[in-house]
Amino acid sequence: MSSSATPTIRLQNVQKNTLQRKLYFFGALALLLVAASFFSEQLCPYDPYMQDMSLTKAAPSAEHLLGTDRYGRDMFSRVIAGSKTSIFSTLLLVSFITLFGSFIGIVCAWMGRKTDTVLMRLSDMFLAFPGLVFALAVAAVLGGGVHNAIFALAAISWPKYARLARSQTLALQAAPFMQAAKMAGSSTFKLIYKHVIPNISGPILVTAVLDIGTMMMELAGLSFLGLGAKPPIPEWGSMMSDTRNLLPTQPWVTLAPGFAIFFSVMIFNLLGDTVRDYLDPKRR
Amino acid sequence: MNWKKLLAAALVLGLSAGVMAGCGSDKAASNGEKALVIGDTTFNSSNEEPDVNPHNAYAGWACIRYGIGETLIKYSDKMELQPWLATKWENVDELTWKFTLRDDVTFSSGRKMDAAAVKQCLEHLIESNKRAAQDLKIAAIEANGQELTIKTTEPKPALLNYLGDPYGCIIDVDAGFEKGIVAGTGPYIATDIKTDDHLVLKKNEHYWGGTPKLDKITIRTITDGNTLSSALQSGEVQAAYGMAYESYPLFRNDKYNISQISTSRCFFGKMNFDPDSVCADPAVRQAIAMGIDKENFVAKLLDGNGFPANGVFPADPAFGGDKVKAEKFDLEGAKKVLEAAGWVDTDGDGIREKNGKKLVIKWLTYPSRQELPLLAESAQATLKEIGMQVEINNTADNNQVVKDAKAWDVYAMANVQAPTGDPEYWFTVFATSNATKNQGKYKSARLDALENQLSREFDPAKRTQLALDMQQVVLDDHAFVFCSFLKMSMISKVNVKNYTSHACDYYQVTADLDVE
Repeated sequence: MSSSATPTIRLQNVQKNTLQRKLYFFGALALLLVAASFFSEQLCPYDPYMQDMSLTKAAPSAEHLLGTDRYGRDMFSRVIAGSKTSIFSTLLLVSFITLFGSFIGIVCAWMGRKTDTVLMRLSDMFLAFPGLVFALAVAAVLGGGVHNAIFALAAISWPKYARLARSQTLALQAAPFMQAAKMAGSSTFKLIYKHVIPNISGPILVTAVLDIGTMMMELAGLSFLGLGAKPPIPEWGSMMSDTRNLLPTQPWVTLAPGFAIFFSVMIFNLLGDTVRDYLDPKRR
Repeated sequence: MNWKKLLAAALVLGLSAGVMAGCGSDKAASNGEKALVIGDTTFNSSNEEPDVNPHNAYAGWACIRYGIGETLIKYSDKMELQPWLATKWENVDELTWKFTLRDDVTFSSGRKMDAAAVKQCLEHLIESNKRAAQDLKIAAIEANGQELTIKTTEPKPALLNYLGDPYGCIIDVDAGFEKGIVAGTGPYIATDIKTDDHLVLKKNEHYWGGTPKLDKITIRTITDGNTLSSALQSGEVQAAYGMAYESYPLFRNDKYNISQISTSRCFFGKMNFDPDSVCADPAVRQAIAMGIDKENFVAKLLDGNGFPANGVFPADPAFGGDKVKAEKFDLEGAKKVLEAAGWVDTDGDGIREKNGKKLVIKWLTYPSRQELPLLAESAQATLKEIGMQVEINNTADNNQVVKDAKAWDVYAMANVQAPTGDPEYWFTVFATSNATKNQGKYKSARLDALENQLSREFDPAKRTQLALDMQQVVLDDHAFVFCSFLKMSMISKVNVKNYTSHACDYYQVTADLDVE
């Protein structure tokens, strides 16, 4: 028995090291992306709002790496400036739904009875709507704009976290260490702060990181449909929508924000997968 | 296991049948009928064309464009008057006009088109269409066989021009208006309509002007220019109207025909004179007029498919072009105008303020004219340079939004300025104090007085001078800003024949339209 156990541990160590390296790599890429969007104003080679009609629809060149749009605006600068709107909006949205949903889930599990019933039926209501269609309706009623698009997506996305946090908390409540802590006289706040949150944060964090890519796509989708960012604010989804007429004739104008969405979503998805694998006890 | 295989086979068959049904070819084509599908970005309720009833809003445009209805008089490409359902006319006195009608015309309902039917139609028109009633000023109509006499309440020199307007399509009122479908005298008969989706036409076998060459025409409303471009490339439609100019390079080859003509269709902005609107301030209006880069808009965003506008009308007619004086693009001059009026950027955010109010312009426009949103974004950038913040509302619900005086400051729209070949139309529709589409509540006593003169003036030279004077009033008040005139274009597959643009933008579908 012992002869077969040694290679398994070695294999696990190799896997863990590989996962760790992947985690650092994708984490660094994601951080780089966030940092680039944070410092976008400093990184833009040209003013992303400045129209120069003498340069309209110029093909990519050394001066304008991604070409210019129909107003002569530098596409590279607009893609960088657009990252601020696209990435920060997504991070804000995911942070909000994670915190709000988890809070509701913990409250439901802890309070039980009527509070649990009312809040869970409310979350059932939101889950019953087709996601993007509901977001479209909310954004249409509230009007266009990034803030309204975030609100619309938040309204339909929090129940997932509430259900996850509730189920995890309920499972924890029956755990012996929780019973022991209760008997030792820990207050509710201490129980939640010291025992519940640290124990449920793993799966919630994994879900949140995996959701970044999805939310980025959904926000871009709302913007593409005209319910997100308004002109002239650069936002990847609305940039693609505004320039889709040019796809057959000046494709770089549409493809530049398209590739920005593609790479960002891919980085966050791969990071999410890696975090999930890294935190998976079976793979440690 | 067998039942699972059977179920799988049934599913595959079912799906295949569904796919085959979805991809099924047009019945008309399989019957050997000659059919044509035209895609149109503008045939929709947003453009006040919900159906083909010429007495309803601007639906007469669809009625005349798609060969359903015809008017007493038509326009040549030089916008000269020509006989159509009326063979001749006579101005008996200042208030009386006598028309002789064609004797060989029947409505698609089977009824003969005689003076009694035309009288009934025109009476229904002025009862149901405020704009027409205001234009025509009809006091009484007499019918006698094929002789029609119209008496007006006041001298109406432009009556003939107005009768050529699409609302003047002669229809059989007795045939009814079910679903907005009417019985006209044109080469095609409307058989089915779904607002904002499609219109189906069939050949009028008894058309007086010869047998139409196509058996069936479908007009598909495709408001998105990109979708229309794809539909034409894929062959889903064989002809297209209202394509975005940016897509033209795709069709400049031997597979397609592009029919293009200069028109009086104009992109212009009307200002809101509501006291709460920033445009109530004359300096703001003047600065907007000076802050729009028309030359570059035409050259770059219209890809040269138009001309920069000076006044209300293009250069061709005697009452158009640069015979009037308008503001030129001058950002420094605009800044001085705003500063002199007290609009100053006190907080350093690049936007001017006055009495604590930010200089924010609510710019309303709509997407079905593909380049209007581009004009908005172009103006947004240039006006920002003079300290104005432009908030764009690009909506297909423009007709509702414009009714709320608090919801907009500038309403940018497209319009054929002289669809009747006469200048009076534009002023009575947009600018006089009782104009039907003067939603900005612009009011000028001098303009109203000049319009009163114009409405009674028969001498063409004096009418021209009055039209010039009136344009100057409007321009001096900066009540409107005229940006560009467009070249009207229609694109079709190379096998589609006689799909031709006209200066008045009306007669798209004719008996000669054919597919080879």
